[in-house]
Amino acid sequence: MNYKQTLRYVLLIIVTLWTLGPVVWMISLSLKPPTEWYSANIIPKKLILDNYINLFNSSVPIGGTYFMTSIAEAITVPYINSLIIASLSTVFAILIGFCTAYGVSRYKAGGTFTLFFTLLTRMLPGATFVAPLLVYYSTFKLMDTHIALILLYTAVTLTYAIWILKGYIDEIPPEWEEAALLEGAAPWTVITRVTLPLIRGGILASALFIFILNWTEFLFALVLSVTKAITLPVQISLYASAVGRMYGSQAACGLIATIPMVILGYTIQRYLVTGFTFGRVR
Amino acid sequence: MAKLLVKNLRKVFGDLEAVKGISFNVDEKETLCLLGPSGCGKTTTLRCIAGLETPTSGEIYINSTLINDLPPQKRGIGLVFQDYAVFPHMTVYDNLAFGLQVRKMEKSKIDSKVKEIARLLDLENVLQRYAKRLSLSEIQRVAIGRAIAVDPEILLLDEPLSNLDARTRERMRTELKEIQMKVGITSVYVTHDQLEAMTLADRIAVMNNGLIEQIGKPSEIYDNPKTLFVARFIGTPSMNFIDCSFIEKNGKAIIDANEFYLDVSDISSIIKEKTTTSELILGCRSEDITIETKKTSPDSIEVEVKFIENLGAKSIYHLGIGEKRILVKTHIIPGIKIGSKVWIIFNKNKIHLFDKKTSLAII
Amino acid sequence: MVFEKIVNWLRQPKNFGKILMMPSSFILNLVLIIPFSILIYLGFTNYIPARGIEWWRSDIVGFANFIKVIGDERFLWALLRTIIFVFTVVPIEFLLGLGIALLFLGNFKGKKIFTSIILYPMMIPWITVGLAFHLLFLDFGPVNSIILKPIFGESVTISWFRDPILAFLTIMLADIWQWTPLMFLILYSGLVAVPERLIEAAKVLGASETQILKRIRLPLIKPLIIVALIIRSLEAFKVFDTVFIMTGAGGPGTATETISCYIYKLSIQYSNLSYASAASLLILIMIALVTRVAIKPLAVKTE
Repeated sequence: MNYKQTLRYVLLIIVTLWTLGPVVWMISLSLKPPTEWYSANIIPKKLILDNYINLFNSSVPIGGTYFMTSIAEAITVPYINSLIIASLSTVFAILIGFCTAYGVSRYKAGGTFTLFFTLLTRMLPGATFVAPLLVYYSTFKLMDTHIALILLYTAVTLTYAIWILKGYIDEIPPEWEEAALLEGAAPWTVITRVTLPLIRGGILASALFIFILNWTEFLFALVLSVTKAITLPVQISLYASAVGRMYGSQAACGLIATIPMVILGYTIQRYLVTGFTFGRVR
Repeated sequence: MAKLLVKNLRKVFGDLEAVKGISFNVDEKETLCLLGPSGCGKTTTLRCIAGLETPTSGEIYINSTLINDLPPQKRGIGLVFQDYAVFPHMTVYDNLAFGLQVRKMEKSKIDSKVKEIARLLDLENVLQRYAKRLSLSEIQRVAIGRAIAVDPEILLLDEPLSNLDARTRERMRTELKEIQMKVGITSVYVTHDQLEAMTLADRIAVMNNGLIEQIGKPSEIYDNPKTLFVARFIGTPSMNFIDCSFIEKNGKAIIDANEFYLDVSDISSIIKEKTTTSELILGCRSEDITIETKKTSPDSIEVEVKFIENLGAKSIYHLGIGEKRILVKTHIIPGIKIGSKVWIIFNKNKIHLFDKKTSLAII
Repeated sequence: MVFEKIVNWLRQPKNFGKILMMPSSFILNLVLIIPFSILIYLGFTNYIPARGIEWWRSDIVGFANFIKVIGDERFLWALLRTIIFVFTVVPIEFLLGLGIALLFLGNFKGKKIFTSIILYPMMIPWITVGLAFHLLFLDFGPVNSIILKPIFGESVTISWFRDPILAFLTIMLADIWQWTPLMFLILYSGLVAVPERLIEAAKVLGASETQILKRIRLPLIKPLIIVALIIRSLEAFKVFDTVFIMTGAGGPGTATETISCYIYKLSIQYSNLSYASAASLLILIMIALVTRVAIKPLAVKTE
């Protein structure tokens, strides 16, 4: 018994090291002063927070080229952009997704085509849509706008919302809703007072899942935004290429983006498992 | 074949003491039945023997070998689960062969053994069918076949018939008895159905609340219940119980049950030997009471017919005296209907007296 | 009066259902279907923004683009690379995920903490993952200095990103690091759903843990395995973010250029939108075919 237990823990430690390794290194880099960036020690000899602070203000950058200045000040804007775009897209996706899932589940509307088509949106590489989207959005003067990205993200993550929510809606016996209808409630009231509270878990699961997808989306943001609607992931890549050898700053920049995820991390864990099994297995 | 010995078995789950220290043994080829209501600890005991639960204390021996530390794989035990737990993704053949395949037996030997078991349990026609497509009784037979295919030393069965409907249950009961006689494995059988226990067991251990109240042959348990619980649990309909007191006066000893009394002077010495209290419970089975249409002896007691349950060949008469109810099971007596006044006589050789706590006084 | 009529019309199930579907139809049409039509249109034209002609006024050149794409060596290589990527990365993620899932079976102290640790790579933005691995594999980064030191006896300076094969290795590693947890999650939830009774029955019958794994657990989660593999494969095919930041969307040269990278470059760097569209369409047709032929039957089998 003991031998098995120790083996298990040993393996677990190995897996943990592998999992934590890259991030630990990044954290360590981000806290190191420039002198230590090229050395191999994990624990910084001198701890500094400058790498993080410099991301937010446009103060004199380390290095001091023109290019650096214009990038160094931008992290707040992309951060806020990402927050707005990701949140709004998530909200829309859930709203529309719920309506659709409900329609398909209860009213058998849309038929198999809708479901299949939404599945299709997930299978197609984003890159294949770059050309038409460029043309489309520039024609309507929607390049570099928040609304463009919000619409796009909503459309792309709609599948997930529908999929997950439908699973949850299916689990609720229609009889409960019918009972409410028989008591004279309008369909809309039935939904808000009966169905929605019951699938709270599903809403949470899909909301978190979709939010992550939106927050980390890169390709379309890269293509469709330039300065005004630039999102955080794009900013990180720009920053990385701009600051060249400033690895500490890059590391800090990359890590900043993970903070919302960490905060949401605990809430996700519980719901992600149920969300997946509902939609996929049965 | 093997002998099973369980000594002072105790199992505690957190706050709950499921098994409170029981001991029993099972001889070679004997079937011992653990009988009791839900929650009495019988399934837990079975799982401890199988190795699926670890006893908190106590020892389990198979043929004088202590098996407490052996994993279930190595105990040489066959187990038939209550919900059968037949492998749904395998065919009947593979289910039966599983235990043998796992032991890396030769294919031809496995084949002949599986066919033998299939013949024994009438599963030859469904050997190639997938287990999830079988009827309930077929699944049950596969579960049994799977367990005995590996020639276990001890066979454990956990309420195998409780999922079946009444008809099938009757049929399977007789089939099980036949298999038992043919194959002759030492078995422990868990059930809450006393009819099953009476039919299938060589000996019964009646369990209640984590303890064994009585072990003995079915006839012993039936005729000589040692505790109130055993008396109440065995027998359909249940034994009649009447609160009474033991009074001695005028040189006579009587059992006073308010509405009537019984003269027990001939056995009063035995009563006084066995107990000191006078608060007793009188017990008498419904088949040990006779109904007469007129009073024939001083022991006859007048009662009123409150209700009649017609069982076909026999009837159960619900008789009332005062607030008390007495059930008598006997052949149909013509002329008696609800409201009739009749007399009953208790068969003095078959009455039981219980101390208001749990002991027994006389037969 | 009119309002009542509308409400009554709404109350009928059929109509209400239609109303419910409207938002999604609207947005899907707006954002995806129309661009899709544009995609098809562009594929048949010769639209290049640099030329200055508006896209709807560009000449239609029939199948010329498509023929060119099929003969395009770089396109075919990108496709091949992506396929190799998928077929290497997904099985590894599956096996590792399965291993970790098995490791997590049963109860042990600290399970919750370990679970959170194992799962969090999935939640990190792909860009950050790419960045992290880029930093790891720098010439003087920890991989060279810390990890390989014991093996080679001294600090090596392997230029991971300058060697085609090594660079490919790094992006595979990044993907494995990030997505093994997903496999773990799916497989673990499947394994946990196997009824404990069956495992107990197998144990009493004498089966060892390995035998139980092979004959009971794995067969019972087969549908889940298939679903997990399909889903991960589809996603792996689309890989772009990590490649973009680690090797600059394909470096060195075109050694790590996946199909997404190539099409991206066609659209953005070379601005040859028509050609890009043609390539995109071919890829889409390919995916549709593969789905129809290989995946759909598998998916149906698991129902």
